[in-house]
Amino acid sequence: MKFGGSSVADAEKIRRCADVVRAQQEKHQVVTVVSAMGGVTDLLLELAEAAGSGNRSVKYTLLAEIRRRHEEAAAELGVMEKVEPLLANLETLVAGIVAVGELTPRSRDAVVSHGEQLSAILTAAALDGRAMTGQEVGIVTNDQHGEAEPLMNLSLYQIHENLEPLMANGERIVVTGFLGATQHGVISTIGRGGSDYTATLLGAALKADEIWICSDVDGLMTADPRNVPGAQLLDQITFAESIEMGQFGAKSMHPRALEPSAEHKIPVRVRSSFNTDCPGTLITETAPTTATMRSVLLLKNVALINVAGAAMVGRPGTAAKVFAALAEAEVNVQMISQTVSEAGISLVVAESQLPRARAVLEGQLLRTNAAKRVEVDEHVAVVAAVGSGMRGSVGVAARIFGALSDASINIEAIAQGSSELSVCLVVKGDDGPGAVRAIHDAFGLGGA
Amino acid sequence: MRIFVVGYGVVARSFIDLLEAQQSVLYQQQGLSPRLVGVCDSTGAAVSERGLSADELRAAKESTGTVAGVAGHGVRTVDAAQLIAECDADIVVEASPSQMSTPGRSIENLKAAFRTGKHAISVNKAPLAAAMPAMLELAEFNGVQFRFSGTVGGGTPVLNVARECARGDEVTMVRGIFNGTTNFILWKMHSEGLDFDTVLKEAIDLGYAETDPSADIDGVDAATKVVILANYVLGRPATIGDVKVEGIRGLPRERIEEAAQRGNHLKLIGEIGEALSVAPQEVPIGDPLDVPASLNAITLSLKASSDITLIGRGAGGIETATSVMRDLLDIWNVIGGRS
Repeated sequence: MKFGGSSVADAEKIRRCADVVRAQQEKHQVVTVVSAMGGVTDLLLELAEAAGSGNRSVKYTLLAEIRRRHEEAAAELGVMEKVEPLLANLETLVAGIVAVGELTPRSRDAVVSHGEQLSAILTAAALDGRAMTGQEVGIVTNDQHGEAEPLMNLSLYQIHENLEPLMANGERIVVTGFLGATQHGVISTIGRGGSDYTATLLGAALKADEIWICSDVDGLMTADPRNVPGAQLLDQITFAESIEMGQFGAKSMHPRALEPSAEHKIPVRVRSSFNTDCPGTLITETAPTTATMRSVLLLKNVALINVAGAAMVGRPGTAAKVFAALAEAEVNVQMISQTVSEAGISLVVAESQLPRARAVLEGQLLRTNAAKRVEVDEHVAVVAAVGSGMRGSVGVAARIFGALSDASINIEAIAQGSSELSVCLVVKGDDGPGAVRAIHDAFGLGGA
Repeated sequence: MRIFVVGYGVVARSFIDLLEAQQSVLYQQQGLSPRLVGVCDSTGAAVSERGLSADELRAAKESTGTVAGVAGHGVRTVDAAQLIAECDADIVVEASPSQMSTPGRSIENLKAAFRTGKHAISVNKAPLAAAMPAMLELAEFNGVQFRFSGTVGGGTPVLNVARECARGDEVTMVRGIFNGTTNFILWKMHSEGLDFDTVLKEAIDLGYAETDPSADIDGVDAATKVVILANYVLGRPATIGDVKVEGIRGLPRERIEEAAQRGNHLKLIGEIGEALSVAPQEVPIGDPLDVPASLNAITLSLKASSDITLIGRGAGGIETATSVMRDLLDIWNVIGGRS
């Protein structure tokens, strides 16, 4: 079971998590994974950055705030003596970074790792269990600090060897999420997917029956309930669908975090930490369904760029130029669409990256006449309809377009991969929520 | 090339002797001048930058019971993994005894070698049986070579031949006799009509079987070889837990007699097909796998081509030492060889 930051935000919540774990331990063997207390990772990152720029006052501001939150919780849970050494260690570390005035990825990981280490100690105290770091359980990563990649086979083997005997002894183990160590024993953080990734790694290594990802949502929904009042909880979806949904930023799991469980075919349950009556959403290899579509998602704050010009037609390498330019400016392209006429390539990028994207495309393509125009539409939204039932199902597009035309919504661009797991549509930003509702209704996702 | 040897048993000693005996040939033919910079046994180690000789090691072992007795170069009470990490070797030969139930130490030794950028040769089967995918991954991650041809078939180059067969074709099935002791026991039971216990005792007296023969007769040793072949030849990430194992402990003589009535011999067969298994199976008399005494045999079934069988002695200190030498030369060639 993995608990997110908001579920372990203070002593009272940590106690409630411990109660939930204890209840499950009556029937199952449980290993618990925790994130840092809600908001702490951001504070630690800010602290690391500030220290790196030589800011001496952090000790009294950010560090004090971090100290206050953990000391409060520790006092209540009665483990002050275990928390103090870690906080002292953090203070020394930060003082060192301030003194050098330089923050390396390695020292940033060392600072950030304190969040999970502290929350694991606090949770272990509430659970009367044993706190272990990712390094102690055996997660070995490469040395790409901040975005470290686990050495999968080695980590799986070591986790199994280290944890099985402890579990056989009936120990209640609490593992820090998000953390590993290089083969030389230097702490690293595993970046995207974070603590969820730790949970699925552990689950795969221990051949768990299920991996539970517990947070403040009940599970995965057919749509964002704030936008679509009739949105329903999904009971069961496939790994492929979940990965697709995760890519659209649904309150789902990061695709990377699902890899170990998908590969070892271990079901993942996304559920609420405290609303234990709700079973949540089960993610499995295959999921029984008759539904064509699972979920409709909305990606806001994106911009559409249209690179056009007759010079592009039939000229090999134009697309390469466009993407090389964007890569150079470190712009992440979220969606691509081009017709066979080749007269234009449509791209969707995050709004925040638009100025960079525009500048580099104008600079590199217009000047060299590789393209004639770079048109930009800043206020757009991407609507993504996800579901493996769409594969090989005739008439899905017609129903989507029909629904949007009934709602008088114009579609600016379309993309669908040949996997047919999802269809993405670009619409005017203001039309986004309406488009989601229209498609959601047209496919009856709100239930009878 | 600087070599560190972990373990000072029969294989290690034979290898060290071979290294000295072949010195001029290795230099003339391969441009290789190996230097033994360290050896450790269970209680100590000898370390020398300028190289250790087979004679001084043997003398120290005989007079003091440990290689740490080498004058001026002995180190008492060592942590092998730490020594490996800190020594100045290019290649580590892990030749400590295969302890299947406790592979931890040999795994730590290999990890220490890989982590510090050293190539490794293992004749110890335990780390491979328990964690072969992990060891291969770590070696690749650190860009070092990892060889272990002595773990299967002793001096018979089973792994390399098998892999060579698999090139450009597809191995659909591997079956074989991977344990000489059990083959000897089954062969004796059949040919002389003796009981399991009688033959086992004879095998122990002859030195074919260990005083604790469990790993052999319970099929564990054969299972480790199934694991190694599955990983190396078929590229399947397997460990010992994935093999279904049935040994021959206490096998009734009637089973052998019944097999004979059907024109078959009972053999302990390791199989890599849909699943991985080790179990007594009947083999037609005269089949390529119907090998006598303590011989090993392996049959590879190929998709396009026909079956290929390789027969040879499966163990022996000197034979296995030659496989370490082959591995050493392989690594020498891969990392640039004559330069």
